[in-house]
Amino acid sequence: MTSPESTAIRVRGLRKAFGRKEALAGLDFAVPDGAVAGFLGPNGAGKTTTLRLLLGLAPADTGEMEMLGEPMPGGRVPVLERTGALVEKPSFLDHFSGFDNLWWFGSLNRPVTRERVGEVLGRVGLTEAAGQSFGTYSTGMKQRLGVAYAILHRPRLLILDEPTNGMDPQGRVQMRDLLREIHAAEGSTIFLSSHLLDEVQRLCDYVVIVDHGKTVREGYVGEILQSGQETWEVRVADGQQERAAGLLLAQPGVLSCRSGPRGLEIRLQPGQSAEVNRVLVGAGVPVVALIPHEASLEETFIALTDTEGETGHGNRPVPGAGVDSGAKARPPEPGGRS
Amino acid sequence: MTRFLTLVRFELVKVLARKKAFLFLLALNVVPLLASVIALLVYLKMKGLGLGGLEYSVLVEMVRGLFTAHMLLFGWISPFFLALVIGDSFSGESGRGYLKLLLLTPVRRWQVVVAKALAVLVFLLLAVALGGFFLQLDLWVARAVTENPAMIWDVKPATTVLVETSAALQLFVLSFLANLALVGFFILFSMFSESPVLMAFISLIVLMTMQTYVLMAPYLTRLDARYGQVADWCFTRHLSRLSEIKTVQGILGKTLSLADPWVREPMVASLGWAAFFFLLAIAVFQRKQILS
Repeated sequence: MTSPESTAIRVRGLRKAFGRKEALAGLDFAVPDGAVAGFLGPNGAGKTTTLRLLLGLAPADTGEMEMLGEPMPGGRVPVLERTGALVEKPSFLDHFSGFDNLWWFGSLNRPVTRERVGEVLGRVGLTEAAGQSFGTYSTGMKQRLGVAYAILHRPRLLILDEPTNGMDPQGRVQMRDLLREIHAAEGSTIFLSSHLLDEVQRLCDYVVIVDHGKTVREGYVGEILQSGQETWEVRVADGQQERAAGLLLAQPGVLSCRSGPRGLEIRLQPGQSAEVNRVLVGAGVPVVALIPHEASLEETFIALTDTEGETGHGNRPVPGAGVDSGAKARPPEPGGRS
Repeated sequence: MTRFLTLVRFELVKVLARKKAFLFLLALNVVPLLASVIALLVYLKMKGLGLGGLEYSVLVEMVRGLFTAHMLLFGWISPFFLALVIGDSFSGESGRGYLKLLLLTPVRRWQVVVAKALAVLVFLLLAVALGGFFLQLDLWVARAVTENPAMIWDVKPATTVLVETSAALQLFVLSFLANLALVGFFILFSMFSESPVLMAFISLIVLMTMQTYVLMAPYLTRLDARYGQVADWCFTRHLSRLSEIKTVQGILGKTLSLADPWVREPMVASLGWAAFFFLLAIAVFQRKQILS
């Protein structure tokens, strides 16, 4: 958990209970300075609670927090001056326009010019709706305004809680580009919680995965995804699946095999794909396609946070397939995947 | 400091943007304004028709009476207004998540409490001053017209200043202190509820019960002196003294000043209660978890 480089956020042994329910049970993590970090966890894992505690909205029971080198919540004011934050849904004043909301809330940090407010509104694509009252905004627009507010003062640290919640696909792409742009131009550290895993994978270089109020895994995305095995999808002619599965499992390089939505999903030791193809073709099984699956954060995430085990509906393992074939079965597609 | 002033301005803008504020302004000022305009019209019209009628000194007396009524009315309806607006700005904003957004800016929590209280008080005092100023204006118009021989011929030297600046300032201080204690009282209640209506009702019921007890206390004291001792701890008794008709008229008629024990004692007591409520409210707010 200790990282040699300087950290933007560091949390140690954070505990928080609401009544009898323990929301955080000794959370530890550190976000390196200058990283784009994703904060992942299933619903109720304690993501938003952590952000609340970090930003001083609620006191922690025990534990240490540090942001931008200052202890929190002790250094709340100087830290918040350099932090743009959005926690849960943005709740601006309903009867004020988007522009007025940004201007007033922005001025509470330090004086802000009308040009800057206009510029930020333009960057999130709200120029046309700037004069409209916040109450009439759609969920996605509200979210955009929240992001606009967070980036208003060019913060060193950007904390966003599910920033693309309720946005349309274009909006998500736009938001991703915007965050990348800001990260590149201003070098701010970005810490965003999300349950959209492919989004996090595309945007973040560092992830913290939490579950049941504890850190399950944290590290650079590249390191987390290196698992020493490859996943491939093998599509064969109709009616040949069972035979192909039998042949594949007999191969020493094949770790597991199960039927996927359109073909067989196999896990291989690295560099075994050509051998698999040769065996199948040699046995007279027509291979229609051999498709590599890029290692996804989703699989890692599900594996790390899956506690029930019995989630593999719709992905029945091939009869007689490898021992671990069912263990890492995927549950039905998580809702947000685009 | 600029941040704090911005916060106060922001809160004031929010108070002014509420329909409640407008309705309060209307409720507070509509009676004295209408009555004084009618009195002025009657005075001028009768003069114009040569009917004699309303004497200038009578007009002055009427307007002075209206001024007293205005002050009393203010004393009655300001608690209701305060309960509603403070319910909105603490309970309501906490329920809607505005408070969360506010606390994500680098303002300190005590600043939020003080700024909200200040904004409400500034509005309240402007509202009451508006009525007072209008009544004063009424007399100025009457005098200007009366002293113009082309229109009216019986010029009589009379008191033309309704309220002297010193009396106005003293009344202002009294209203400020009385309402400061009330604001603190309501803020303290609003810390514990996320529903503005519920908070307003409960706090007003407590306030009314307290005041009813204060009014009953002199009779109860005949049964047992301890009833009176309890009544001493009801802070509403100081507030009602400050906005009592005797106090207002005394200050207007210069028979009373702030240094008089009749006014000074409840003033000091109100200030003490206000400080107590505010410190307690801030202490509670510092620990409050902002979850919605």
